[in-house]
This record gives sequence, structure tokens and C-alpha cells, in this order.
Amino acid sequence: MADDMSKPYKYPFNAPTEEAVAMSDVAVDGRPIGVPASYDRGRSVSWTPETISDVHALSRLGRYQIRGFNTFNDRMPTLDDLVFVPATMTRLPLEGYRESCDTRTVLGNRPGLVECPIELDIPIYIASMSFGALSASAKAALGYGASKVGTMTCTGEGGMLEAEREASTRLVYQMTPSRYMLDLDHLRRADGIEIVVGQGAKPGTGGLLLGMKVSDPVAQMRSLPIGVDQRSTVRHPDFLGADDMQVKIEELREATEYKVPIFLKMGATRPRFDVAIAAKAGVDVIVVDGAEGGTGASPELLLNHTGIPTMSAIRAAREALDDCGMSGEVSLVAAGGIRSGTDAAKCLALGADAVMIGTAALIALGCNAPCYVDDYEALGTSPGRCHHCHTGLCPVGITTQEPALEKRLDIPSASERVARFLTAMTMEITLLAKACGKSTVHNLEVEDLRALSLQASAFTGVKLAGIDRTYEW
Amino acid sequence: MNIIAGDRPIRDVNREIRKALADGIDITVSEPRSRHNLGIGLPSGTRVRFEGSVGYYCGGLNNGAVIDITRNAGWGVGEAMATGEITVGGYAGMAAGSSMRGGLIHVRGDAGPRCGVAMKGGDIIIEGRIGYLSGFMAHAGRIIALGGADDACADSLWGGEVWVAGPVKSLGVDSKLVEPQADEVEQLEKLLAIRGLGDRSREWRKIVSAQRLWHFESRDASAWLMI
Repeated sequence: MADDMSKPYKYPFNAPTEEAVAMSDVAVDGRPIGVPASYDRGRSVSWTPETISDVHALSRLGRYQIRGFNTFNDRMPTLDDLVFVPATMTRLPLEGYRESCDTRTVLGNRPGLVECPIELDIPIYIASMSFGALSASAKAALGYGASKVGTMTCTGEGGMLEAEREASTRLVYQMTPSRYMLDLDHLRRADGIEIVVGQGAKPGTGGLLLGMKVSDPVAQMRSLPIGVDQRSTVRHPDFLGADDMQVKIEELREATEYKVPIFLKMGATRPRFDVAIAAKAGVDVIVVDGAEGGTGASPELLLNHTGIPTMSAIRAAREALDDCGMSGEVSLVAAGGIRSGTDAAKCLALGADAVMIGTAALIALGCNAPCYVDDYEALGTSPGRCHHCHTGLCPVGITTQEPALEKRLDIPSASERVARFLTAMTMEITLLAKACGKSTVHNLEVEDLRALSLQASAFTGVKLAGIDRTYEW
Repeated sequence: MNIIAGDRPIRDVNREIRKALADGIDITVSEPRSRHNLGIGLPSGTRVRFEGSVGYYCGGLNNGAVIDITRNAGWGVGEAMATGEITVGGYAGMAAGSSMRGGLIHVRGDAGPRCGVAMKGGDIIIEGRIGYLSGFMAHAGRIIALGGADDACADSLWGGEVWVAGPVKSLGVDSKLVEPQADEVEQLEKLLAIRGLGDRSREWRKIVSAQRLWHFESRDASAWLMI
């Protein structure tokens, strides 16, 4: 054999016994010498215990898995990869504890096209989540909480719930491809209309609401049979491409007599092009929802493996608007995995005019709160780890249609928690903005950020910390 | 009262239509020139006649108006209509009556693909043939085609009914032919007779949801709790 190193050689001593070569007295208990350590731990890169159990699960179910919450893909970067570089010698900071910083935010300010732009007191609002995915109580509490701090909510796909309209001083009406309960009166009572072409959690795929949540009231609003596994369309029924959508946008303006702004929500996939096309089609506000965006239910693979991270999408979207000369005309809203005011401030600095929070707002309501622990355990999870929105068995009454569970959500206190969370987020944003010397949060800019990783720098065009240059290809 | 559409801004044309209707005046719109978005969200108790062909979404979000289009209509005629009545004298393009919740659309010619897509109620009568994927993911309501249907008819219906007199090229996913009941046919023929389309000799095919797509194969909630 070519690799047989046994040459005729004679040691100047007696040949060792096999036992001595085996060092048997120092071998790991239970493992013969000569067996690598990896045999114990099974360190296959492809076949981890998780992937093995995934195959077992698929081989039992014969279908893909479904769950709620957001991506579990740990390769997704977080906004923690960016830090602010506050004013030092080249810039003057504002007094963080004293001086004021403007947080007012206007969306869809297009004279001639939009009579009533949306004016918010803060640059954050509550993302579109449907009645169906959420309980009516959760929808109402989000509305009250948002109203208290001068911001807005969005209906989501299930139509306009009266309780939500009453609770929300400003409410955007969502028009999804499925068009559940599309009603002219609802359109005219909305403060804005959001056309959905996709969502961050599962771009390219329609909404999903498992039968457990298609209760009588939900089924009625959506004109569906009770208890069906509702899998919504992803293509709009009456327009296909951007040119048709342009006509559709005009129809919506006609229906609402040019009063309210038209939003377009997209999952972040090719924002550099998608945003330019949406702006050209004539919408007033573009919502770019990154891959970290949450959902009530989705095939798990889509949550984990579709779409691009929010941080990368914002920069691309802003560049697209700049290139089209539409910055200032068309507003840009960022969403997807925003956890705090700090995250929100980074999104504003990357180029967003406002941010939308979904999961964070639900957590403020009480999602994953450490109560009703037995019910979490019955779902096979625990407070802080629950992602079982899809089951409709939410222990804290948020993502459920079970009246007994829904009662657990106390609307007044939940509303107050949302209001306080939004207030705290806003304080976080202004604190950072003032440290960077900005008298309005909308003056935060890319130059205020540095990247801690090559990856974050490459994704965003933010300069690398220390070397102060962008990652150049 | 006559309103000329011509090449005037559609916003002005629609504003005039709304104003006249608010004043209780029936109107005729001449020279519609296949313009898009004519007569959107019109109220009940009003009548509008478009003398010629219209573009996309004519009578969209109709809230009760009686609309007469003398020639052809583009995509999405009467889309999302809540109530009211729309007659198309010629042909209708794609997605006629898409996501409508009530009311009646009557097309004298053929209708393009995806007629009645996502509809939630009401009736669509097509004297000619309906295009492919008609009734796609409809929830409720009736599509009635007197001249046959193209491929994938009644694809992925949640609910509702597609009635076809004449050949059906192929059925869509999760739809099935069922034997029409005499009283159903009677009711249908009455509706058609009102429109001057009564004909007892028709051989009807009634297509409904096979309901296989109503659920994932597993109805056991515990199966969803595995993650």
C-alpha cells in the first residue's frame, strides 16, 4: 500500500506490546483507545440532534411544520451589530436629560394626493396584526395604548374590528390579497390604507390561520366556514404587476376621495428594486418588513429561510428612494424584529422615517409573561420561550379566540403597558438622538452609526468601528 | 344629465358623478374611452350609464348603484361590490366581480380569467363563457355561466357555487360536480328570467368545493403543538 509506512526497521529495543501502545490505563472509561472523541458527541455539521429530530418530525407528519413567532435562524444578524457614535469633538451633543428632541412623525405628506397625512407624536406605531391572529381584547388594548401616546395601529388582514376602530384614534386599514370583509365604509373610516404584497415572516406566501383560531366571529368577518385552516391567497385578485397596481391605487384614492395616504407593505427581499417600483406605482408610504418579522402562524421553513434582515433592507430601500428622487415624498417605514427604542433609533439612522412594532408590542401586552405557567407547560414550553401563537391556546389571552383564555388579558392594564413601552422606546430614541446632537429624531443618520462586524458593515454600508471606513468589496 | 369623460382627469369626472348622484340625478357618462376607475364606490338609489367601453375597476366598491356599461369592461368590473347591479353589454376582462360581497353583475358577452375570484357573495351572470380559474378561492355567492367554462373552473373554492351551462374544459383543484336539485335550478332560472335569459332546456353543471383544502390533513390540534 502506498500509505503503508511500515518499513523494515529494527528498534534498538524490544518491540512494545499492543497493550502498552493502547495506553489502556489512561483511556476514557467506556471508549476504547483509537476511537476519536467526536464519536461520543456526534459532531456532524449537517446532522445535529436538532436536524435529526426535524427529519423524524417530517417523517411522522408528512407535511411541513407550522408555528408562530419569528425566525429561529441564528445566522440572522441583529441590530446589536451596530452602535452609535455620539457627538464628541466634531459634533455637539444635546443635553440628554434636559433638552428636547422632536419626535413628531408625518407619513404620506403629499399635497394634492393626500388631504390628511398621518401625523404621529412618535416615530413608532403598532404593526398590522389581524383580529383572528389576535384576540379582540388584544386588538383593543393595542389601540388604546397607541392612542394614549399619540400613535396608530393597523387592522391586519381580518377586516376592521369595531372595538379596534373605537380604541384607535388613528387606524390604518389593511387590504390584503384575500380581501376579507373589504368594506367601503371601513375604507372611508380608516386614516390610511395599506396594500399588502408580502410580509417579512413569509414573503411570497399568503396568510395562515389554523382552524383552532377560526372561531365563529372570525369566520363571520372573513366569510369562511368555521374551523377551516385558512390559507390565504398571496396574489391580489384584481391586479398582477406594478402597472396594474398603479390603477388600483388610483381606485383606492377615488374611493376615499384623496383623503388618506396609501401604504404598501412588502416583505424584504429585493428592496433596492421593489421599493423603487412601489414608489413609481404611486404609493405614499412604503413599509419594508424584514425577515425577522413575526407572525401568528407560518410554515416554519419560511420563517427561518426567506427574506433578508431588516437592517440590510432599510439601507437598500432608502437608497432606492434617493435614486428615484422620492425621498421626502414617499415615506419609509421599517419593521421586523425591532425590540427596543435602541433598535428603532438604529432603523431611523439607517434611513427609516418611522418604525412599526408587532411582537414587541405583544410582549408589552403580556406575551410570554410568567403567569399561568401550567398552561405554558401543557403546550410544551415555558414563559419566555413560548412561540405557540399558531395553536390559539395562548396562555395570556393574546393570540387566541378562546373566550376563557381571552378573559385573562385585562384591557386597561394591557393598554397601559403598551403605552408605557412606547413611551420608554421613545425616550430611548431621543436619548440616543440627543447624544448624537440631533434636535429631531429624524436627523439621525448613517454617519451616527458604526458597525461591530464586517457582516453588518457589508449589509448596511455603515462604517466599520475604529477603521472608520465602509467595508469595500 | 350627461357627463363627458373624454380625456379629462378621472378625478374630476368621478367628482361630477358623485355630485350629481348626491343630488339625486341619474346620469349618463359619454366617451368613457376605456378609462380606468370610472364610478368607484357609488351609493345606493342611483343610476349611471356608461356609453361605451370602460377600463379597470369600473363600479368598483359599488355600494348600491345600478350601473350600465353599454360595451366592454376591463379588469375587475364591480370588484368588492357590497350591493347594487352592474350590467356589461359586451365582454368583461379579467377578475370580473372579484371579492364582491353582494349584488349582481350581468355580462352579456364572455368574461376573462378569474371571474368571481375571491368573491364573498352576490351573483355573477355571464351569458358567454368564463375564463380559466374562474371562482378561484371564492367564499360564497354564485357564478352562473351560460356559455361554458375554460380550464381550472372553480379552483380552490372555499364555498359558493359555480353553475355552468355548456362545456367545462376542466375542473380546478378541490372542486367537484354535484347533481343540481330541482328547486335550485328553479331558483336559478327565475333569476335568469328576470334578466330575460329564461331557458328551461339548459343542462346545468353545478360545481362546489370538494372541501379537501379546508383543512391540512391533520385536524388533531395536538399535532400542531409539537414545536
